[in-house]
Amino acid sequence: MSNIKIDQYMDLKGVPCPLNFVKTKLTLEGMEAGSILEVVLDDGEPVINVTASVKEEGHQILKVEKIAEHWKLVIKKV
Amino acid sequence: MQKKNYSDAELQGLRTGGIIKQKQKDYFILRTRIPGGYLKADILKKYSAIAKKYGRDYVHVSTRQGIEIPWIHIKNILKLLKDLKKSGILRGACGPRSRNLIACPGSSVCRFGFVDTEQLAQKLDRVAFGKNVPKKFKVAISGCLNSCAKPQENDLGFLAQGEPEVDLGKCIGCTLCAKVCEKVCGRGKREPAIVMDKNKRPVYRKENCFFEGDCIRVCPVNAWKLKKTGFAVYIGGKVGRFPKFGIKIADFIGEKDIPKIIKNTIHCYNRIAEKGERFVEALERQNLEEIKREIL
Repeated sequence: MSNIKIDQYMDLKGVPCPLNFVKTKLTLEGMEAGSILEVVLDDGEPVINVTASVKEEGHQILKVEKIAEHWKLVIKKV
Repeated sequence: MQKKNYSDAELQGLRTGGIIKQKQKDYFILRTRIPGGYLKADILKKYSAIAKKYGRDYVHVSTRQGIEIPWIHIKNILKLLKDLKKSGILRGACGPRSRNLIACPGSSVCRFGFVDTEQLAQKLDRVAFGKNVPKKFKVAISGCLNSCAKPQENDLGFLAQGEPEVDLGKCIGCTLCAKVCEKVCGRGKREPAIVMDKNKRPVYRKENCFFEGDCIRVCPVNAWKLKKTGFAVYIGGKVGRFPKFGIKIADFIGEKDIPKIIKNTIHCYNRIAEKGERFVEALERQNLEEIKREIL
């Protein structure tokens, strides 16, 4: 899993719900199917809500990792 | 229309069909019911027409998912009832009868709901509404633990539950399930239902679970799935002047058993309560275990 090629990266540290999801969603909409987005989210509500919402939108989540006080989400656009 | 004088008995008769005396002389409120709060847009238009024709161009939305139309003059009641019959609007209840069954939006649109409350409410209206009881009787259905329809504040409440199960083969060890569980099932001094073992694999302990499904929703790879759904049953809730919280008497009751439970509970209420008494007031004199057996 460590050799996933990240096509786009977004730092959403300090971005509150639901703005963090909206930004993730809009970025995904602008990307090609099959490409990979990495987002960094705050701990707590942001990582929980964004993960659930991205899944509900039908995208595939490849990785969820805690890095220090934040979370990294690797998403494959469907 | 001819002027008609109503006797007290006739006025009482009107009350059974949701015609409520207003404080102003000769004016009445028409109470309607909307089972589960689901209303076709076409019927909504009929409400508008009736409020314009017979009322004062407005309605009042009640807390029981009903619409009330005030300012109906006594001389127009019979004509209104005729129009109402054709409209598809359902009449409500007042006086010593069971009320409109209320429900949350349910699983057809809500991300939390486990059950389709719309279909359920339509089906249950027949068994739950308009039955003669000592005082009043209210039933509510909520699609999940969020309790948006407040089943614990009704004489009889159903709260949908979902039991999760995990497919460890799909799990990527992200720990989000344990994280959400800690906040729900592990709140306060409780032990959570999901803890991660030393290999970052979730371990589920059903006895600690609130069956709200947060683990299923958050799981990024659908390793957590819904194993089964059912309903917790609450009895004896009310608000009014002296509020009481309903008591939970069962978990994971099947949907097909709900009509039977409603019928049994209304029967039990009529059996144990004196006229003018709410269910909970009568329940306090009873042995709860016997009541459970009677209802379930």
